[in-house]
Amino acid sequence: MPLFLVIVGMLAAAPARGAEALPEPARRFLEGHCSACHSGAAAQAGVRLDAAAVDWHEPESTAHWERVYNALARGEMPPPGAARPPAAERRRMVAWLDERLLEHAGVGGAVPRRLNRGEYENTIRDLFDLPEFRLADAFPADDSAHGFDNVAEGLILSPPLLAQLLETATRVADEVFPPERGPLAVESRRYPLGVAGLATSEGGKTAAGRYRLVSSRNMANSAVWPARFEAAASGVYRLSVAASVFQTDKMFYPRRRAPLRLGVYAKPKTEQVYDPLGKVRKLAEIDVQPDRGAPQSLSADIELFKGEVFGLHWENGPAYSDPPRREYSTTFLAERLQADRLYYAAMLAFGGGPRGTTQEQLYAATKALMASGKLDLNDPRLDKMPERWGGGLAAGPHNWIKGFVHEEMHRFGPALDLTDVAVEGPLRPIEDDETRARKARKQRFLGERAAGASDRDHAQTILRRFLSRAFRRPASDAQVAAYAALAMQAESLEAGLHLAIRRALVSPRFLYRGLRPGRLDDFDLASRLSYFLTSSPPDARLTAAAREGKLSDPAVLERETLRLLDSPQSWSFIRSFTGQWLGTRLLQDIMPDPRLLKFIDQDRRAMIDEAELFFAEMIRENHPVETFIDPGFSYRSARLNKIYGGDLQGNEMRRVAFARGGRHGGILGLAAVMMATANGVDTHPVERGVWLLENVFGAPPPDPPANVPAIAPDTSGATSMRDQLNRHRTDPTCASCHQRIDPLGMVLENFDPVGRWRDHYPRYIRPPDGAETLQEEFYSSIGSGVAVGPPVDAAGVMPDGVRLEDVTDLKRYVLDRPDAFSRCLTEKLLIYAAGRPLTYGDRKVVERITADVETRGRGFRDLIAAVVRSESFRAR
Amino acid sequence: MERPDRRKFLRGVGGSLALPMLEAFAPRRARGGQAADKRPRRLVCAGTYLGFHQPDFFPARSGRDYEISPVLQPLRSLRNEMTVFSGLDHRGRNGHLGWRAWMSGSASGSVSLDQLVAAKVGEQTRFESLQVTCGKPPGDARLSFTPEGVALPMIGRPSVLYRTLFGSAADKERMDSLLAGNRSVLDGVLDEARGLERRLGGKDREKLGEYFASLRGVEKKLQKQRDWLDKPMPKVDYPLPEFDPVAPDLALECESIMYDLMALALTTDSTRVLTFLIPGWSQVFTIGGRRLSAGYHGLSHHGNDPSKIAEYNLVGTEHVKRFGAFLERLRAGRDAWGRPLLDSTVVVFGSGMGNANTHDNSNLPTVLAGGGFRHGAHRKIEREGPAPRLLGDLYLTVMQQFGVEIERFAGAKSNMNEYLL
Repeated sequence: MPLFLVIVGMLAAAPARGAEALPEPARRFLEGHCSACHSGAAAQAGVRLDAAAVDWHEPESTAHWERVYNALARGEMPPPGAARPPAAERRRMVAWLDERLLEHAGVGGAVPRRLNRGEYENTIRDLFDLPEFRLADAFPADDSAHGFDNVAEGLILSPPLLAQLLETATRVADEVFPPERGPLAVESRRYPLGVAGLATSEGGKTAAGRYRLVSSRNMANSAVWPARFEAAASGVYRLSVAASVFQTDKMFYPRRRAPLRLGVYAKPKTEQVYDPLGKVRKLAEIDVQPDRGAPQSLSADIELFKGEVFGLHWENGPAYSDPPRREYSTTFLAERLQADRLYYAAMLAFGGGPRGTTQEQLYAATKALMASGKLDLNDPRLDKMPERWGGGLAAGPHNWIKGFVHEEMHRFGPALDLTDVAVEGPLRPIEDDETRARKARKQRFLGERAAGASDRDHAQTILRRFLSRAFRRPASDAQVAAYAALAMQAESLEAGLHLAIRRALVSPRFLYRGLRPGRLDDFDLASRLSYFLTSSPPDARLTAAAREGKLSDPAVLERETLRLLDSPQSWSFIRSFTGQWLGTRLLQDIMPDPRLLKFIDQDRRAMIDEAELFFAEMIRENHPVETFIDPGFSYRSARLNKIYGGDLQGNEMRRVAFARGGRHGGILGLAAVMMATANGVDTHPVERGVWLLENVFGAPPPDPPANVPAIAPDTSGATSMRDQLNRHRTDPTCASCHQRIDPLGMVLENFDPVGRWRDHYPRYIRPPDGAETLQEEFYSSIGSGVAVGPPVDAAGVMPDGVRLEDVTDLKRYVLDRPDAFSRCLTEKLLIYAAGRPLTYGDRKVVERITADVETRGRGFRDLIAAVVRSESFRAR
Repeated sequence: MERPDRRKFLRGVGGSLALPMLEAFAPRRARGGQAADKRPRRLVCAGTYLGFHQPDFFPARSGRDYEISPVLQPLRSLRNEMTVFSGLDHRGRNGHLGWRAWMSGSASGSVSLDQLVAAKVGEQTRFESLQVTCGKPPGDARLSFTPEGVALPMIGRPSVLYRTLFGSAADKERMDSLLAGNRSVLDGVLDEARGLERRLGGKDREKLGEYFASLRGVEKKLQKQRDWLDKPMPKVDYPLPEFDPVAPDLALECESIMYDLMALALTTDSTRVLTFLIPGWSQVFTIGGRRLSAGYHGLSHHGNDPSKIAEYNLVGTEHVKRFGAFLERLRAGRDAWGRPLLDSTVVVFGSGMGNANTHDNSNLPTVLAGGGFRHGAHRKIEREGPAPRLLGDLYLTVMQQFGVEIERFAGAKSNMNEYLL
């Protein structure tokens, strides 16, 4: 860095004013171990260490010595191969630097901070009333630095990213001022669709020119839709069907007197619709009368949006599902079995038949059994219903009965026959919700035009309002004039404003925060607070407080902090902070080994919800920060029974209380954390140990030296993790860090890769070569691919001699040293809030915050408020 | 509805239509009568999302006299134009998310094979590369990643791909006005940034340096778009269906059309790098008039049920059939030296999914076709040993053939030259 060179160079020449001569031991140390490479104009890495004095009052100088401190403290310098200074000498040097830096280093030092992906989305939503706005999935993710993805250092801007931002800006401007697209009028025409081209779903069959609907299950399984039709424009279409009711005297169900009802639904052409029927948009109902003989010609006018197709569903058949479930109603299934004991016996005897049995074969075989006279009708199983119904891909009564009744209805009814389908349209265009919303959005953006205002005046008024919001501070006259000049170049006011929006959204003033040097002013403070607690730009109240110059008043700042913490927008903070501090974001990329656990996405969601709801209560109730370690409560649902045991019913999350001091509960036994610190297959004590040091003790170990092979868990159980780690620790270069890491990691070994308690390691049973293990087992039972392995021995001794037997000891250990944890949490909050790594100067601030909060009972909400009040938060 | 015969039409495309356009990019010295440059010119990567049933995909015997496997049957006539590899993968993460690693070796979005090649050969064409799929793939599906880790969006509608490649007047007009507008937008924000820069000190200026560098990069990109906008779009006579077959049930039909359009993209030299996420997610397919017993995704979790495997293979074979037709089309086309287009086009076909049944992403199905390589064998790669070979080794050979200076890719350090050159 050239600036360093100048300063240090000056110092080398003659002690500057305010400079302090280096004490003798420090000078000797530098001369002996550093200045061979770090001196003169050719100093390595531009770092000169041949000065005779230091000016501690120069910020650039403290930054320079902080770099020296880090290199020495982490053992990065002198480089490998060079002679190492004696350990005692190095410790003294490090201690001296530490003391001087603590005394002199300033607070702050943030560089401009780009909005990250989530912040950008929220900001666009707020600015343009686009609550549904999302960046394309393909939009690049942000890198994280110092543990968070909102730290300036990691928020790099690159040409492809700016190109995407420019494209996004056009997309957003289109939402306010939609481009005029060619001729919008789409000619109405008739589509004779017939029934041959229907995209069919299960149960139904096309034969002899008609499609026979037999099932009234959920949309994805039972509805049909034309494959070769799609609404070319949003509009009213006339649907015509020819349909009739099929029923015979041999039906199992009573003859239908009331009409059979055909439901017409809308479906986006490109998607399979899995939503329960009640959630799919219904367009019309068409009644088909029974006993009419010839097919009835029926029609309905339906409103389709561009890109949609209609789906046809028999609404009131005997075989139905109970929304929101997708499988057949168990009431229907049970009634079918109860009503016909002979069939029940045959179903039990035949089941689904051998693999590959078709619906027709299943029906015929079951019928043959029923006629055979060999079935035992006194079988006691016939007096009760099956314990499990199955469904989906799983074999079981659900699918057996389904196949039987589908075929039965095909043969004898009741069923709904479609003999022709045609559609005509659009008869007239309709305005879809999107078009309506756009109109309103445009109106809001333009506002009222002052009487007699010229286009330029009007544009200036609009742009002053818009830019002040977009730049999060009042726009200057010059800015407004520049944007208005751009807007006036275009052929119309709207086209000009379209251009101005595009420019604003790639302007550095929009993309970056913290562009002003010096202490944060009220507007910067409003932004920092608002992005900290809501990941969104300041709302009207916060902006007003900034405009009135009141925000730097500590009382106002505190009031606003608490207000934002209580707002629903604070969920953005909760999600983002826990996602990174507790690592819950990593969960989406981890798939537990199916041999270990049957795991679905909803289980993952429940784990994350647990972490977030727990964190939310910590804020809401102002619990002391120790509560993070041993809370005695959590939020769970039946989905988490498979992790924690227990017998909760229902899938909605609710608060559960339990005794303190147990194994689970708190961040040290949270399923989400245990899963995030493993890989879904096996656990790795080093990973978890490092996680604890970093996120609970606030003392991250340095990165492992290069060219040291990682320890690979051996799931065959031949060598234990403990043996491997013990061997690792005999190497002195590894020992210094691993004596801190290993006991912490080992003590969590009782938690398996998804956070379940275990006393034994699993031993994966490898399938023999070429074959796979019993696959059905994977999906129907838990833990079938594993055997019980060696016992878990989690005990260990911390560097200070304290022995930890299991996680309950670890919790006590942390609780006995509450300052370390509360300091760690304060640092994390501060990094997240200020978007920069903490400097030496911030350490003093962190000490003050923790001391201050301790006197008030260490409440977490108080801690957040204290962070906001702190000098570090308010410094740039 | 009367559907024109696409096949008949494309025989025409493959033969004569290709020639004059391809002349445009023949190296000058080749036209001067010297020996043709044998380096490949184009890359196509096509992968299925749900893999193949490995035992029915990989031939049993290795070497040149291998017997073609059941699923690869449709490629019988192309035996000497391709090499089948077994035993290759990235030693990466399992699960559907691991699929993303297919072309990059890393699920977290390292740069992908096609983008490295595009950076080398994409300069001269209207589109540096194009990413294609059918309809709407699952939300987590990603194919191509730029060096910055940006996952590129895929075009899923035939009509959109067609319009992108062969354009329309209305599109050009809008594009024209957007590009002009963007130019003044960039000029404006450059002024703003300069104003800010004057107020800021050392580290802040450095941070803002990223902004300036990005502006320059975007300006260059706009300039390229601008230049191409003035050149006329190629004209083709392709009978695009009246509506896009993007309904999930019609995915196989859409797949055929997308291959047709990709062939046209190559013959018109609109791009030299194409990637294709072959469709098929959870829909229930009807093949040969028979509706399959379960959705494609369900079939891929076949649980070793022979009837499900058979149906899973039915879909797999449909994919291979369409892929074979695409290769035939490239073989029928001619490049500037009168050689089959296929000889100068490297085609990678396979999947980022190994064994879909267990979500296991090892031993990925892989076929390498065209590109002027020495083909005709099934190469069974040993998975054990001190220096196991990775899929990245194969990619290294491919990239090096394009002149990409690269020695390592996704953990791979050697190449597969011994099998292919």
